[in-house]
Amino acid sequence: MLFNTPIFFVFFVAFLLIYGLILVQKRPKLYFILVASLVFYGAWNYRFIPLLVGSSIVDYYLALAIAAAATQQRKKLLVSASVALNLGILGLFKYADFALSSVADFLLLFGVEASLPTLSWVLPVGISFYTFQSMSYTIDVYRGDMEPRRGLVHFTTALAFFPQLVAGPILRARQILPQFHSLPIPTWDGARHGMLLVTSGLIKKTIADLLAIPAAVLFEAEGPVSLIEAWTGTLAFAGQIYGDFAGYTDMAIGLALMIGFKIPPNFNLPYFARSPVDFWRRWHISLSTWLRDYLYISLGGKYQRHRNVMITMLLGGLWHGAAWTFVAWGFFHGVIITATHYFANLKGFSGFVGSRSRALNLLKWALTFYLVLIGWVLFRANSIDSAWDIIVNLHSLGALPEQSAIAGRVFAVTVIAVIWMHLQDWFVISKGEAFERKKWVFWPVLIFFQGLCLMTGEPSSEFIYFQF
Amino acid sequence: MNSSTSSSDSPDQRRIFARIFLTVLIGMGLSLALVQGVLAMLGAGSSSLLERVTQARNALPQIVEEPQDLVIAFGSSMIDAGFSPREFDMAINEAGGNIKSFNFGFGGLNPMFQDYLARRIRDDFEANDRRLKLVVIEFNPFQTTKSRRNLQSALEESYISLLASPAELRDITLDDPESGIRMALIRYLRDGISAEMITTFLWGGPFQTPRDDTGVDFEPDQAAEERIGEIVKVLTPRLEEDYPDYDGTDWYYPWQGGGTIKSERSPETVELINEYYNLAASDYNLAVDRLDRIQSADIEELHFDPELVDAFIRIVENFQAISDHVEIVMLPKNTDWIKNPPEALDRQAAVVREIETATGLVVRDYQTIEPVTNAMFSDTTHLNRYQGAVAFTAFLAEQYAELLVAP
Repeated sequence: MLFNTPIFFVFFVAFLLIYGLILVQKRPKLYFILVASLVFYGAWNYRFIPLLVGSSIVDYYLALAIAAAATQQRKKLLVSASVALNLGILGLFKYADFALSSVADFLLLFGVEASLPTLSWVLPVGISFYTFQSMSYTIDVYRGDMEPRRGLVHFTTALAFFPQLVAGPILRARQILPQFHSLPIPTWDGARHGMLLVTSGLIKKTIADLLAIPAAVLFEAEGPVSLIEAWTGTLAFAGQIYGDFAGYTDMAIGLALMIGFKIPPNFNLPYFARSPVDFWRRWHISLSTWLRDYLYISLGGKYQRHRNVMITMLLGGLWHGAAWTFVAWGFFHGVIITATHYFANLKGFSGFVGSRSRALNLLKWALTFYLVLIGWVLFRANSIDSAWDIIVNLHSLGALPEQSAIAGRVFAVTVIAVIWMHLQDWFVISKGEAFERKKWVFWPVLIFFQGLCLMTGEPSSEFIYFQF
Repeated sequence: MNSSTSSSDSPDQRRIFARIFLTVLIGMGLSLALVQGVLAMLGAGSSSLLERVTQARNALPQIVEEPQDLVIAFGSSMIDAGFSPREFDMAINEAGGNIKSFNFGFGGLNPMFQDYLARRIRDDFEANDRRLKLVVIEFNPFQTTKSRRNLQSALEESYISLLASPAELRDITLDDPESGIRMALIRYLRDGISAEMITTFLWGGPFQTPRDDTGVDFEPDQAAEERIGEIVKVLTPRLEEDYPDYDGTDWYYPWQGGGTIKSERSPETVELINEYYNLAASDYNLAVDRLDRIQSADIEELHFDPELVDAFIRIVENFQAISDHVEIVMLPKNTDWIKNPPEALDRQAAVVREIETATGLVVRDYQTIEPVTNAMFSDTTHLNRYQGAVAFTAFLAEQYAELLVAP
C-alpha cells in the first residue's frame, strides 16, 4: 500500500473519518492508530504482524527490566539480549542467505564445493527500520538517556505508526513515544504544512519513477553504453534514489502532521553538500545519526576515528541490503569520509576546507557530488564487476557505442529533474511557511501539481528503500 | 466530559479536523477534475480508446434479436480486414442457409483483453437465451507473444477496467485490492485513461528511441507516396457518394462490423483501390512493417506468453458455452515477408497442441491456403479488402457451407 496509490488514499480517507469521530478520546484513538497501522502493514504481508508486535513486546519489557535492574552487569545483560534479539531477527531474515552464499563462495576459492542450504525467506517490509527503532529504546534506557514509559500499547503503536513504519525515518523513542502518551490534536497550520509536504513528496516520487528509465538504460545494459548515456544513467539514479526516498519521507512526515504527530526531517538538500561528511549530515539523517549515536560512539567515537568510521560505514552499507555492492558502497563512503578528516587536519588543506570563497565552494561541491555519484554506481550496480565496468565506462574516452538520437534530450531532462527536486526542497524548507499563508496561490499550486502527478505514469512503483 | 478526553475546547478541534478532512477530499476532487479537463482537451476517453470495441458491444442487444442463425468471426485486426460478413452471408444464403454473420475483429487487443470481451458477448447471449450457430475464432500467434504483452503493459489495467463487468472488478478488488481500486479509479473517475497513457501521449514521442532500421534495405518511393495521397483524396468523397447513409463509425451495424464490398463500388473506384493497395505494398513499406512487427510482437521468433495462451483458451471456452459450433483458425500469412525459423514453428506447434488439448478442438491452419496469395496482402499481416478479404471469406464460406446450410 504505497502512499502514492489510490488504495492508500482510500485507506487514509477512511482513517481520517474514523479518527475525526474519536478525535478527543485518547484511549480509543490510540487503539485505532494501532489497528490502522497493523492493517496498513498487513496489506503487504499480514504474516509478519506477529514479528512486529512480538518485537515491540519484548523490547518494552526489556526496557522496564533494564530500568529496574539492580546492578550494572544485569542492565548490560538485558540490553545485550535486546540488541541480540533485534539483530538476530534482522540477520535471520535479511542476511542469512547472503552469509551462507558468501561462505560457499569463499570455500570455492580453496577448491571446496560446499552446497550450503538457503532459507529463501521473504524479507518483512520495513524490518531494518523498526528493529533499529525498537533497539534504540532499550539502549537509551540502558544509557539513562530516557526513562522507560509505562504503556505497552503506546510503545507498540509508536513502533507500528503507519506513516513511518515501512521506510522510516528511524525515530528515537524519545522523539515519538511521548507523542503517543499525549496524543496531540492536529492543528490547521500543521495539517496545511503536512499537505504541502505530501504534495512535495508526491512530485519527487513521480519524478523518481520517470528517472528509473534512463537509470535502467545504464545499469541493465549488457555492455558499455555511450559516455553521455553512462553519465545520464548515473545522474538519473542519483535523482531516482533521492526522489524516491526523500519523497517517501516527505509524505510520511506530512501524513503524520495531518493527524497531529511530528516527525523530524530526514533530508536536508544532500546534493548541495560540500564534503562527504557534510553529505552524511544531510542524507538519511535518521540513519546517520543512529549509526553515530549507537555504533560509532559505542566503538569509541573520535578515539581511533578512522577505524570507527570505516566500521560504521561498512555496517551502514550492509544495513541497506544483503549484497557485496552495498558493502562496497559503505566501504567507499568510509574511505572518502576518512580521507576528508585526514585532509582537513593537514596543514596545507585546512585553508581549502575552511574557505568561504565561492569558487572553492563550487569546487568542493563538484568534487563531493562526483564522489557521491561514483558511490551510487556501487550501490545500484548488479554486481561489483558490473559496478567496476560502469565506472570505467564513465571515464572512457576511447571507443564506446554511439549514443542514441535522444541521448542529449534525456541528459538535459535528467539534469533539470535533479535540480528541480532540490530547488523544490529548498523552497519548501525556506519559503514554505510564507507560501502556505498565501492561500490564493498555495491551494491552486498544490492542486495543479497533484493533478500533474495523477497524469504521470510510473514504470516502477516500488519504493527503493522498502527493501532495506 | 468523558474522563478520557483530552481537552476542553473539543468543538473547535473537531471543526479544525473537519476542515482538514474536507480539504483532503476537495483537493483530490479538484485534482481529478483537472485530469478530466486535460482529457477533455485532448479528446481522450473510453469511447475513443476502444471505439470499435465499444460500438460492437453496444450492438450486441440488436444482434441477439436478429431472426437468422448467427455467426461471429472473432479475432484481431486480421479478422477485421480479412472477413467480409455480408459477402459470407450472400455465399451461405445463396446455398440455402439463413444466417447473419458479424465481424468481431479488433486491432490493438491481445487475448487478455479479448477474453473480457468474449465474456461480455457470452453474458448478452446467455441473458437473452440466444446461441450462435458458428463462431470462427482466430488464433493469432504473434498476438500471443511476450513482446506483444510487454508492449501493451501500460494499457492492461485501462483496457481490463473498461471491459470487465462490475462483478469482475469486484472480484479483482477482493483478490488484489490495490489493483482493483486503481482499475475502479480508471474506469469511474478517469474515463478509462490511465496516467501511463497520458504520459505516453503527451511526452512519449520526444523520448522514444527511434526504431532500429537495420534490415530495411529499400528506399521509400516518393512518387508512389504522392500518388497514394492523390488517390486518398479521390476515394474519400467516393465513399460518401456510394454510402450516403454511412455514419462514419468503425463498427457499422449495416455492414455487420465489416467493411465495404466490391459489388457496391463502381469499376473505377475498385481500380483506384487496387492501385492504392499496389502502391502501399511497396518493398520499403513492407520491410518497415515487418520490422515493426518483429520489434513489437516478435512475429518471426514467436516466444509465447503462457498467460496470453491461457487467456486465449478462456476465449474459446466462453464461446463454447454459447455456440453450437466453434472453429479455431489461423489466418493466411504473408510468407514473402514473414519467415518463421524451425524453432519458432516448434514453439507454435507446442502452443497449438496445448490449445487443442485444453479445448478439445482442432486448430485449423489456414496460413497457406491456395485461394489466398501473397499479393492479396495490404501489408505483412493484413489481407486487402477487395482481393484478400474476398478470397478468404469465400474460402471460409466453402469450408462451413455444409454446416451452416444444414437444418
